[in-house]
Amino acid sequence: MSGASDDRLPGVPDAGAADPDAMVDAEAADPREELSKTDHDTDLGIAMAEDAKRVSRGELSAEEYWERYDEAAEREFGDAYREAPNPSIESGDQTIADETADSLGCSVGSMDSVACELSADGDATDATGDGADGDERWGMVIDVQKCVGCDSCTVACKAENRTPPGVSYNVVMEEEHGDFPEVTRTNVPRPCMQCENPPCVQVCPVSATYKMDNGVVNVDYDRCIGCRYCMIACPYGARYFDFGENYDDEVDEAGEVTSPEYGVDRGKREGDESPVGNVRKCSFCTHRLERGEEPACVETCVGDARNMGDLNDPDSEVSEMADSSRAFQLKESEGTDPNVYYLK
Amino acid sequence: MATEHSRFEFDPGFVSDRLRVAWYAFLGAILLVGGYATWLRITQGMASTNLTSTTPWGAWVAFYIYFVGLSAGAFLVSTLANVFGVEAMHRIDRDALFAAIVSMAVALLFVWTDLGRMDRMYHPFVWRQFTSALSWEVHAYVAYIGVLVTELYFSMRYDLARVAERGSGLRARLAALLTLGRRATTEASRTTDRTWLTRAGVVGIPLAIFMVHGGTGVLFAVSKARPYWNSGLFPVIFIVSAVLSGTALVMLLYVLRTKLFDDEPVDRDLLDQLAKLLAAFVVVDVALTAIEALIAIVSFHPHVVETWQIIAFGEMSWSFWWFMVGFGWVFPLVLLSKREWRRTPWLMALAGLSVVIGIVAVRFNIVVPPQIRPVMEGLPHGSYFPSAVEWATSAGMIAVGLLLYTIGAELLPLTPLDGGDH
Repeated sequence: MSGASDDRLPGVPDAGAADPDAMVDAEAADPREELSKTDHDTDLGIAMAEDAKRVSRGELSAEEYWERYDEAAEREFGDAYREAPNPSIESGDQTIADETADSLGCSVGSMDSVACELSADGDATDATGDGADGDERWGMVIDVQKCVGCDSCTVACKAENRTPPGVSYNVVMEEEHGDFPEVTRTNVPRPCMQCENPPCVQVCPVSATYKMDNGVVNVDYDRCIGCRYCMIACPYGARYFDFGENYDDEVDEAGEVTSPEYGVDRGKREGDESPVGNVRKCSFCTHRLERGEEPACVETCVGDARNMGDLNDPDSEVSEMADSSRAFQLKESEGTDPNVYYLK
Repeated sequence: MATEHSRFEFDPGFVSDRLRVAWYAFLGAILLVGGYATWLRITQGMASTNLTSTTPWGAWVAFYIYFVGLSAGAFLVSTLANVFGVEAMHRIDRDALFAAIVSMAVALLFVWTDLGRMDRMYHPFVWRQFTSALSWEVHAYVAYIGVLVTELYFSMRYDLARVAERGSGLRARLAALLTLGRRATTEASRTTDRTWLTRAGVVGIPLAIFMVHGGTGVLFAVSKARPYWNSGLFPVIFIVSAVLSGTALVMLLYVLRTKLFDDEPVDRDLLDQLAKLLAAFVVVDVALTAIEALIAIVSFHPHVVETWQIIAFGEMSWSFWWFMVGFGWVFPLVLLSKREWRRTPWLMALAGLSVVIGIVAVRFNIVVPPQIRPVMEGLPHGSYFPSAVEWATSAGMIAVGLLLYTIGAELLPLTPLDGGDH
């Protein structure tokens, strides 16, 4: 940064061309002061931290590091050291030699294994909690009074699922009623209804689309032949054909990242590989549900109009909303019994 | 017995060599264009079509159901001779059967081209869905083609054996091969053939009516999401229009082949019979379509009413009025109305051609209009006219059918060697 005033972008205030590194140093806490707040050995802490920096600079090998500090750390921390996972050992990318790893006092297993035990414990003790426990029927409740028609659900969905041009798992149907000045407007967001009796599943000649136990209607892109019969059968227009188009003109490398739809990571979008030539639709963001997150459209909704939850649990928020007198489903006469409910 | 000898100068095919060359050149040109379009379709994928997610089925599906109907109709005409013993129809039964087989091949070509993943065309035979009409249809088509080939074999074997025995050259060798080793030309063998011909026909009739074409109608009728198709009468109209187009095709082929290949006088009584049959089917087709429209419109179901409005007054209404009503119904009915005209071969060929073209519009008007209005208010409206690639590939596939038929007609004894009065 020369500080020459012509380098400045118009409208951007001159922050004084401060060296960002200096700013970081100024913010950093004094190590001795921080460590002295604990009951443990301050000198050992500082020595380990300094050597750890050396390891990352390549001046010291990880094996030497752990050999140097294994005993001291075990003496200082005792069982806490022995039972805590060491990220250098037995993780997917173990960074030290097996011999050294075996000689250490902290060989209880990898981060991964400890994390797994933790979540298993959590399930056992927290059976009534919000965490996915495998017997849900996922449902969505959309409050039409709260929807402002901003379409951010549609945008969030495209960003999350990386859908190509012409494919939009969620749309907002907008209707105006009345004449000026007595005009009202209804916005009805439309994801896939994940019907209990899905007509699309009935008609698929190769059983490529099917109902999962969690209520989501799945599409097997490796089996689908692209006959589009399901699109004809869907009363909600929720299915889209992937014509193989992409956003390369708008965004460089637009197909580099794809979404692991229905839990299958297909890598980058290439040529005529599936899902090109297949029929696609909303999956309730199965990949997000599986890791305990709400679908992108629910998370992003500015008016908090969209709710996600377990319809099998009578005490869940969505169940209570779906039972309310305001609740309705789209095209109830079709007999499809959608798992998406709306509040009038 | 003076004609005994001439009977075995077996030389079907074009009487005029000039016409033969012109015809094959014509087909070759269409095949070239169609081949190039097919290459575009394969390399560019479905983006080469004008289909959208609002209107996912278009020209290829319309032609597919058209050719399935043509096949079912032609087959049912052949059973008049083979099962119901209408003697006069024996002259045309093989021709009808062969046309039915070729039509089925063309129908399957269309449905294959229409798949988003053409490479997975075998999947319906690996994975199935009990509740899917399409899953059942695929299997019905295979069984039906089996019945058609069996029928043609038993209908033609006796003459194939005679050609193999007394003829010479390519045709005789081919005939010998096609007898599948059953070379007897005795009356007993002929009786066996006829027995099996009837048996296969008895299996084939319900298969063709209820499974193949009725089933194709069911494929549409079960779509509750498209109220225009979702009616019990719909598959019945499908069958009637199939029989209509099949009868028209058989009549057209009969006149053309007798004139251009056999160089024989057209049997005017037979022509008159076919023409009356055709007129009856036109009337039934018109009546049932009118009933269907009346029920639909009086129901005031907004989707159905709007679909009918699209058909009758929409941007494609010309295909309804000119092709479906004009060429399919009114023009042929006028031609079929006078006894003298019914006995005039070229007029009847024209009537047949008119119906055959008109029913194409019937199929387009079945497939496309219900996909124009969106399934829910607020979703985008559709608009569809086939792309150049769709038209050219369609022309190519039809040319494949015409080529197969012409080659067959040039090599096989499709007209009974003893004039059909066996």
